[in-house]
Amino acid sequence: MKPAKAPVQSAGFALAIAAITTLAACGPDPVDPNRQLGANPDLPAIHEYLLPPMHVAEVVGWNGATPTVPSDLKIQAFATKLANPRSLYVLPNGDVLVVETGGPPGPVSRPKELVMNWVEKMAHSRTKPGQRILLFRDTNGDGLPDQQTVFIDHLNSPFGVVLVGSDLYVADTDAVIRYPYTTGDTKITAPGVKLCDLPGGPIDHHWTKSLTASPDGTKLYAGVGSNSNITENGIQAEVGRAAIWEIDRATGSHREYGTGLRNPNGLQFEPQTHVLWAVVNERDELGPDLVPDYLTSVKDGAFYGWPYSYYGQHVDPRVQPQRPDLVAKAIPPDYALSSHVAPLGLVFYTGTNLPAHYRGGAFVGEHGSWDRSILNGYKVVYVPFENGRPSGQAEDVVTGFLVDGDKARGRPVGLAVDSQGGLLIADDTGNSVWRVTGKSP
Amino acid sequence: MLSPNPRSTASVRGHPLHVMLVPIPLVCFVGTLITDIVYWQTAAMLWADISAWLLVVGLIVAIFAVIAGLIDFFGDRRIRELRPAWIHVLGNVTALILAIFNSLIHTRDAYTSVVPTGLILSALVVLILLVTGWNGWSMVYRHGVGVREHGVGVRDVNRT
Repeated sequence: MKPAKAPVQSAGFALAIAAITTLAACGPDPVDPNRQLGANPDLPAIHEYLLPPMHVAEVVGWNGATPTVPSDLKIQAFATKLANPRSLYVLPNGDVLVVETGGPPGPVSRPKELVMNWVEKMAHSRTKPGQRILLFRDTNGDGLPDQQTVFIDHLNSPFGVVLVGSDLYVADTDAVIRYPYTTGDTKITAPGVKLCDLPGGPIDHHWTKSLTASPDGTKLYAGVGSNSNITENGIQAEVGRAAIWEIDRATGSHREYGTGLRNPNGLQFEPQTHVLWAVVNERDELGPDLVPDYLTSVKDGAFYGWPYSYYGQHVDPRVQPQRPDLVAKAIPPDYALSSHVAPLGLVFYTGTNLPAHYRGGAFVGEHGSWDRSILNGYKVVYVPFENGRPSGQAEDVVTGFLVDGDKARGRPVGLAVDSQGGLLIADDTGNSVWRVTGKSP
Repeated sequence: MLSPNPRSTASVRGHPLHVMLVPIPLVCFVGTLITDIVYWQTAAMLWADISAWLLVVGLIVAIFAVIAGLIDFFGDRRIRELRPAWIHVLGNVTALILAIFNSLIHTRDAYTSVVPTGLILSALVVLILLVTGWNGWSMVYRHGVGVREHGVGVRDVNRT
């Protein structure tokens, strides 16, 4: 047997302590979200995490409270006790459609997804999504509904709705379906007819398919989000995704109208210029202040960067093989909304109910962040427009979705303007629809 | 009667648990290096996903291997008197800390979950395991740690 020897222990233990200290080290200096609003947001250096911050607002519900609005506005509950209302559509006769929906379960391809799926569950309402469309009717003209029916049932993670003439289109997560609609209908029992397939499962990472129609009614536009944060499910999973599809209403054939849009939602035509706009959820895990989500006009044939770059030519090192040829073509979006606010709703306000200050611009529903330590979003903001372009700083309009700093009463998603000019807000986590009007109508 | 060989405290009927458990993290961490290299060369996400699973499985089993190993280490003074035992313990603890880091790096999305930090950590872990493995084998094959004496009954070796 060899003689006993006192070994040098310090090296291993020093390494262990250094390791633990590094693990607890702080992130980069925070960027004021106000410096990430508008055409030229501050873009800090990339900060990849060792432990990505996952800060999810605990869901506490409204318990009779309402969101907060400025003093010249009024907010009321339009509908409550819903099952995950995420998007809204107002029919020409004033009936309001509320889409109760939820995404398919995320697949587990890595141990990380086990944790992520659990975190996402925490961030959302415990109510099982309805997977249907409800119709609300106001018969006495007070702006609030007094009749409610199930309009279309048994849908597959529906999100976008648009009516063209007597054709009502619903964007399920895997297809655009056409239903016959007659003014005054309170339910549709006729089976839907598929107009075209959309990229759905089995992964279906970003599942909400936003939908709108061209002003002349010949084309539909569908937002198809990416199948990953940043190609971690393989580039082959991204065929046809991170794009806005232009679908021919007569034939169902499609082409990609705008690409490189990671998760485009809230598709709307700007009423003055008839240009297509969308709100887009940008990529995660490059730092708490990267990459700002945005509001943008969508130019025919334009490439907006995802996955290879962001805000023009800022290359994302996580994508391999890189594509300098595509990066060179990438154009920056129009208007940054600050990082991780998760915009999912957009509506241009053309009504007259709200004060003049709010006319002509766009409201944006910000679902709220879950991957930065200081929560961002969880509100509805107003972006003023002039001549069809954003013309000033975004301002908070509907707030109070957070209480005690980091508890969520609700989270705003889809927006719509009702027949009297009230602003409707779907709140999926609060299981409500809110209605904002001017104080003195 | 004291057995002449250093004794394994964490053992079942004379079979030391530590040596039964260590092959699993060892193979997992060597496998991680291989799949990391393949991902680096192909950029096919499947390989990076396999690395992430190998790391997690390796780390989970390693926790039990470490517990059994430390029980042996502190269970017999004669083990602590062996220089290879100290190299083995300190080296493996270091490798394990690096593997925990590596597992966090592998939670990143796409290319930077492996290249370059993950790949470097995977290689470092395997290099350390070569040294600690060599010393572990020294403990058993040269110093007879946990090995039953010829002519000594199982009952005697396992006496408590």
